[in-house]
Amino acid sequence: MISTVEHPELTVCKLGTNLDNLLEQPEGQRILSCIQCGTCAGTCPYGDYMEYSPRKIIAMLRRGMIDEVLQSDSMLKCVACYSCMIKCPRGIKLSDVLLPLVKEQTLIRAKEMPAELQHSLQNTLRYGNPMGESSRKRAAWTAKSKAPVPIMSEIKRPVDVLWFVECYTSFYNRGQDNSCAVARLFNALGIDFAILGNEEKCAGDCGQLTWESGLFETLTDYNMVIFKKYKFNKIVTGDPHAFNAFRIRYPMYGFDYEVWHTTPFLAEYVDKLKPKLKKPLNLTVTYHDSCCIGRRAGFYDEGRTLLKAIPGVKIVEMVHNRMNSICCGGGGGGMWLDTYFKQKDMERLSERRVKEAIATGADVLAVSCPYEIYRFEDALKTIPHEKPMVVRDVVELLAESLVEE
Amino acid sequence: MENENKNKSGNGNWSPRIVAFFCNWCTYTAADLAGVSRMKYAPNTRIIRLMCSGRVDPQFILEALARGADGVLIGGCHPGDCHYVEGNYKCLRRFRMLKRMLVDMGIEDKRVRLEWISAAEGEKVKRVVNEMVAEIQELGPLGIPKKFEEWDKEIEDLKHEIENKEKEEVAKQ
Amino acid sequence: MPTTPIKNEPVKIGYYICHCGTNIASVIDVDAVAKYISKLPNVVVSRNYKYMCSDPGQKLIEDDIAKYQLNRIVVAACSPLLHETTFRNATRKGGLNPFYFQMVNVREHNAWVHSDREQATRKAIELSRAAVERVSLHKPLEIRKLPINPNVLIVGGGIAGIHAALVLANAGKHVYLVEREPTIGGHMAKFDKTFPTLDCAACVLTPKMAAVGKHPNITLWTYSDVVKVDGYVGNYKVTVRRRPRYVIEELCTGCLECIDACIYKEPKFSDEFNLGLGKRKPVYIPFAQAIPSIATIDANTCIELKTGKCKKTCVDACGDRKAIDFKQKEELKEITVGAVIITTGFKTFDARRILYYGYGVYPNVITSLEAERLLNAAGPTSGEFLTRDGRKPKQIAIIHCVGSRDENTNKWCSRVCCLYSLKLAHLIHERTEAEVFNFYIDMRTPGKSMEEFYNRVAEEGVNFVRGRVADIYPDPSDGSTGHLVVQAEDTLLGKILKVPVDMVVLSVGLEPDPASENIRKMFNLSCGSEGWFLERHPKLAPVSSFNEGIFIAGCCQGPKDIPDTVAQAGAAAAEAFSIIDLGNIEIEPNTAYIIESECSGCKSCIPLCPYSAISFDTEKHKSVINEALCKGCGTCVAACPSGSIVQNLFEDEEIISEINGLLEPIEVK
Repeated sequence: MISTVEHPELTVCKLGTNLDNLLEQPEGQRILSCIQCGTCAGTCPYGDYMEYSPRKIIAMLRRGMIDEVLQSDSMLKCVACYSCMIKCPRGIKLSDVLLPLVKEQTLIRAKEMPAELQHSLQNTLRYGNPMGESSRKRAAWTAKSKAPVPIMSEIKRPVDVLWFVECYTSFYNRGQDNSCAVARLFNALGIDFAILGNEEKCAGDCGQLTWESGLFETLTDYNMVIFKKYKFNKIVTGDPHAFNAFRIRYPMYGFDYEVWHTTPFLAEYVDKLKPKLKKPLNLTVTYHDSCCIGRRAGFYDEGRTLLKAIPGVKIVEMVHNRMNSICCGGGGGGMWLDTYFKQKDMERLSERRVKEAIATGADVLAVSCPYEIYRFEDALKTIPHEKPMVVRDVVELLAESLVEE
Repeated sequence: MENENKNKSGNGNWSPRIVAFFCNWCTYTAADLAGVSRMKYAPNTRIIRLMCSGRVDPQFILEALARGADGVLIGGCHPGDCHYVEGNYKCLRRFRMLKRMLVDMGIEDKRVRLEWISAAEGEKVKRVVNEMVAEIQELGPLGIPKKFEEWDKEIEDLKHEIENKEKEEVAKQ
Repeated sequence: MPTTPIKNEPVKIGYYICHCGTNIASVIDVDAVAKYISKLPNVVVSRNYKYMCSDPGQKLIEDDIAKYQLNRIVVAACSPLLHETTFRNATRKGGLNPFYFQMVNVREHNAWVHSDREQATRKAIELSRAAVERVSLHKPLEIRKLPINPNVLIVGGGIAGIHAALVLANAGKHVYLVEREPTIGGHMAKFDKTFPTLDCAACVLTPKMAAVGKHPNITLWTYSDVVKVDGYVGNYKVTVRRRPRYVIEELCTGCLECIDACIYKEPKFSDEFNLGLGKRKPVYIPFAQAIPSIATIDANTCIELKTGKCKKTCVDACGDRKAIDFKQKEELKEITVGAVIITTGFKTFDARRILYYGYGVYPNVITSLEAERLLNAAGPTSGEFLTRDGRKPKQIAIIHCVGSRDENTNKWCSRVCCLYSLKLAHLIHERTEAEVFNFYIDMRTPGKSMEEFYNRVAEEGVNFVRGRVADIYPDPSDGSTGHLVVQAEDTLLGKILKVPVDMVVLSVGLEPDPASENIRKMFNLSCGSEGWFLERHPKLAPVSSFNEGIFIAGCCQGPKDIPDTVAQAGAAAAEAFSIIDLGNIEIEPNTAYIIESECSGCKSCIPLCPYSAISFDTEKHKSVINEALCKGCGTCVAACPSGSIVQNLFEDEEIISEINGLLEPIEVK
């Protein structure tokens, strides 16, 4: 079965797949079936800026001319939004397999790696987070939280849910708001959970999608050892990228835990949650489908279900929604390529997206990814709009409406 | 794409022998389609054509195993598509019962398999046969005829023993 | 028929393995097989020959029978589904009972699927040995002959059903044509013009529809469904449900006065024939040339039928004709037919399934079938091609392959879309003078005059963009004027195009109609994984199903254009004719019977038979099989605990000897 909107498939490829042996793998054989229709290039948010679109990359690969592609920086412009993959009429695993492989080789051959990206990858290797914060401060945010946040190494007992907090949600201000909201919701729902605290390191999804495979494997190995130390039933994370990595890449390294993102996870509890959402918010909200939760995992209704549970919330849709959503531009390393993209005179995708959000007339742009909070809040500063608009994670809105007994 | 089993049974390397009972309307035709499409699969199956999977008497399966088959494959139409309305359901019920008995007798689960393969699914014939050959290859020979010989020999030996004892006792007296 | 069975004669087997040119001989060592088989007990002759199915090949069998007094024949060649009858006939011509024959499939099940010569040869030997052991036990059987009912049922009144019905009716056969809609005509009746000749669909179709309506040999049942099928070739018993249309067909003259008089002054309800683009009243005739030209009252919208409280102005208008009958009930008709032709057609792809094309979201994204209705002079806009808000479009995009060639929806090429898209481009350009952009993946124009048509449309100035459309969205620079942007890569230029248009036409593909799934089940037709009905052989039996006497034609078998549909319909009619005209049909003698002396009277078999062919003789306390009803599945045989049921051609001993022949050890060289 190939990826479809409803049931994106999990298995990606065998470990050790590279550009030289790709065409012999089952995924590679799909590549041989490419009909050069150009859907991938046409839907790519940066298709205009790429010298070699995914379509051309396939054509070059099949002709044995891939080296020419690797000389160009086309693949650095891929934000791993899965748009080409989900629309590909041949079911070719572009964003899962081919494009990251090309990106890795492009970076290896690049005379100079974009400084911002290089810095973040180095930080991730040294400190376990891209911003280069001390790993000993990872759990510091919990001091801000009004709701208790137990830590695995302290409570010394099995839990139902291991909450994998991730980097942005641990270290950055607005990310910490997000984490505090999740802590309140988990407590209100009586979920038996704990976090890893300072033992946690970045799951490595963006490193993996820029296909820094060495870095990714270092992080995988580290996190897998930590997971094995403790007993828990499932992992829940608020970061779609960590969710993506656990779901799609980690199984190649022996990971077989049940894994959830907070949005679909909380949607399972919506009946229990709804009576507790007592404070009406009276807001018009437009929901942005994040790439890893929406397109890659097929969770489109869950975020909307949660929003609808909040009294007073009215949902309006942007022109591009659900599987046709536009990426915030933060994936695939894009989070650390803003300067590079600006040098290349490329439109910021977060700005493109925010324009659509503004056009809906909504008060709130709701998201389910910590990257998006930063990117959209930034973009709102540069895009003029008359009616005020704020960016909120779905969990923040839920927590705002939550009234504890 | 070729996935033929390269083991030769004649020259020491063992390779499984599978008897297949295919219904005329769906699975036999699917095997024809696999042929017309020139799909390549393991040469270890021998197909016996029946009009309907409902005709598969459990006795046939037992006979095949007793006479040296390492596995038995039954192919019928998909549920709801039986040419004879519901022969495939009847087959399924018998199959489940027989399977329980075979497992009790120590015959591994994977040796006897029932598959619904429609006339359009040549590809599935290929897949199922290849899978089954690989699985049974792993299990090794069933070798019931040989076991029969051994049992016969055991019985012979026992007979001899009893005869000898009787003779001894007669001699003692 | 020759052949009296020869009793107690020693078995003498003739064995023949066919080379099939090089098809078999290149993989299987036919020489070695023949040599091995020659050494088996009872084998008198063992040969290999280039083409066994050729006349000399068959002659070889006949001559050997005479020369060596053979009394059993085994041929190893292709699939029995292909040539079993051929060789049975050769056996019969040689003077033997045709069932003293067994066929071995060494082509489809061996040479074509294996490439290891040694393994394939070994398999051929084992399969042949099984047949040799089995054939010794064969018994002489008589082919059953059953009388055939000369009537034919045709299910589906599109162009395929219409054409097949006329062919048979003109040949003097009686046809029942069953159609679920109030009128026949199918999809073709909705088209404006047809490619590549641009002749108007109605002009060629409606005369044929009228001919069906008045043909003395055709019983036309519209607004009707097949609900039950029983029996077998030559003798199918079919129940047809005639839904109430609340108008007595024999009395209605099609004058339209009831429609004018309806309490609803203006048409108010979505008009199915125009795909909801137009409106109709509760009482309606789908279109002017509908056949039968009889009004239908829709129970879901008619006030009288919903509440019983209407002034019934329609009844007054009908007056003395008294054709309107609100008490009409559904009627079940039972008919017997000898053969059936299934022409249930297709369904167009639901474009909502491709979210990013915005069908159902943006009013000016329409499907190709809707475009046909808008272009049609008899359609809801009288042939004016306008946007939903009534503008004359200046730029239009036509998108090929919507719901075709796509792993996420339908994998197949729908075959007609390129050509009808070209036709729509021509017609829209001609009517509106708009600039037309056709976005295609590959331009597929096979067939007579088709490429020339493509040429012509290109010369007319239609823009062809090679690239699959990736996104359609409202023009952001444009406020809410309804303009859309079509975004795609022009793969020949390697540039991303963002073309602003007023309207988008989605060339939707053809897919199996889920509504015909229960027809498929009732008639026991096979289908591929995608749902198209399966023909018995893709080349040599393209309109036959796996069931004797049931034929398929038109798009229910797969996407095709009108000429091919009509050709298939004609072929199916001819095939049906060749069965029913014979007066009787030969049936394989593979029925089961009960050996009375061994039956314990346990009745296990009775509920198993799907055809109720087994009854219980209470006097003798034994089960009895009615041979006329038995279809030879063998389910009862496998179930009989006392082993007293025997299936001809598939006796237990025969199958067990086959198993034995397969598994005996082989000593090769």
